[in-house]
Amino acid sequence: MNAPTSSPETAPVLTRRATRSGIPPLRQYLAESWRYRAFAVYWSRADVKARNFDTLFGRVWNVLNPLLFGVIYFVFVGIIAGGGLDQLDRFGFIVGNLYVWLFFNGTVTNGVGSIQSGAGGVLAQSAIPRVILPVASALSAASLFLRSLIAYVPIHFITGRGVHIEVVWLPLAFVATVMFGLGIALLLAVANVYLRDVSRLLPHLLRLWLYLSPVIWQFTRLESQGSEMVERLGRINPMYHAMVVWTVGFGGDLPGSDESVAASMLVFSVWAVGALLAGFLLFTSREDEFATRN
Amino acid sequence: MRPATDAIQIRDLSVSYSVVADRPNAGRRTSLVRSTERRLIHALNGVSFDVAAGQVMALIGGNGAGKSTLLKTIVGVLKPVGGQIDLYGRPHLLAPGMGFNRRLSGRENVVLGGLAGGMSLDEVREKQDQIIEFADIGGFIDMPTTTYSSGMFGRLAFAVATHIDTEILLIDEALSAGDAGFRERAVAKVQEMCRAAKTIVVVSHSSTMVAEMATHAVWLHQGQVRRTGELGDVAEEYAAFQAAGGETAQMDRSIADR
Repeated sequence: MNAPTSSPETAPVLTRRATRSGIPPLRQYLAESWRYRAFAVYWSRADVKARNFDTLFGRVWNVLNPLLFGVIYFVFVGIIAGGGLDQLDRFGFIVGNLYVWLFFNGTVTNGVGSIQSGAGGVLAQSAIPRVILPVASALSAASLFLRSLIAYVPIHFITGRGVHIEVVWLPLAFVATVMFGLGIALLLAVANVYLRDVSRLLPHLLRLWLYLSPVIWQFTRLESQGSEMVERLGRINPMYHAMVVWTVGFGGDLPGSDESVAASMLVFSVWAVGALLAGFLLFTSREDEFATRN
Repeated sequence: MRPATDAIQIRDLSVSYSVVADRPNAGRRTSLVRSTERRLIHALNGVSFDVAAGQVMALIGGNGAGKSTLLKTIVGVLKPVGGQIDLYGRPHLLAPGMGFNRRLSGRENVVLGGLAGGMSLDEVREKQDQIIEFADIGGFIDMPTTTYSSGMFGRLAFAVATHIDTEILLIDEALSAGDAGFRERAVAKVQEMCRAAKTIVVVSHSSTMVAEMATHAVWLHQGQVRRTGELGDVAEEYAAFQAAGGETAQMDRSIADR
């Protein structure tokens, strides 16, 4: 990374030298990243646009895809797990939560992929701060999620979920989900540079994480397990707390649950800040090696 | 502190990087995991020279001499393990097609490529028509670039890359895009860039015509500076070295670390 020296008249614009810690001067790094903000926005727009460019329905797939996932899991839970197909509210619950999960999943998967792909020669041929690429991927995932809400809103009302005061938690949950997903993406992107097997494992790990999180099952089921240990283990999962906030934010407070949305929001926020900070520091301390290891 | 005329100062620069390679005789082994090893390449070792502002400097040397590594270190892709480079202007490596998304139209890729090259959004908008006119690919500009012939894609990529203003221009890749007519315009465009940029560093094989604009040269051999000076003198000595069979593959500098 570029480290400017400070002498005003004869100082070089940029200096390239070895740094001991590996972490670049943060102020300079953030300023340089800010310089490429338009690239991040346009790269993410390009990504969203290019996704389904060769299909008949084109961008409609961005909305249709999570909806179909919702139908599949509704059938899965309804028939295979014996929950019944007559509960419309469950359909709304599953679709809403799956939209959130796909948003998180997309932030992580595309963030890791952005470094692996080399982003059209950007990694090999320019000094753009590498963090721009996972950030652009997070923007794509966030953009797709917000678009998919267009399809969710009618489902929300048709399935009788209504509007509740708890909806005020959603903007906070959105920001924290972006931060947490980006943090995980940065950590795994570094791991994947050193060990390519990470990208092969990633879909399976995320699928397992989906089933361990209250996405297609209600978080209240954790309380009804009757085992304190299961409850404790369940709550270690940061996405448990995220889904408590999203579920209540979408559908209103759940009667009979001891879960505090404010507490879950706080726990998830701490995870989000921690993951982002850890991911950013690890990523920036290693990014000089990306060009030669890719 | 720099002399008033220097644009680039390189002092005792060393660059190493590691690559993953299959272990020798790996094919004979039966193993569940791939048999690879990491090799450390010492690409540059104790390189020092200055490039004056306004100078066109040619980098001369055989394959593996460290020319591309040096340009990538100047631009910031690779990091030194020792020494330092002081730059008195922002460098730009001429890299046609960088940042492009092949599924988008040519027009959209002009914006993406320009932003990836460090242009501001206003600059891209200001130069967009100029770039499209230079690429001269007609109605294809609004079609996905997957529908382009390689020549058309090369013209567009080249047009974007050469419309980025810079103070220090670095040229490595061979400059060949499109048909003979376009190549002529391409060389003229690079020469125009060379005149506009304050300083140029060009790898000698990239374009004979651009390299001919060089006044000075640095001869790199096995990651070290063998000679610097006026182009004629350095080129003559290098030619004599080549004629004597002195230029061989230079991967013997790599060592197996693990």
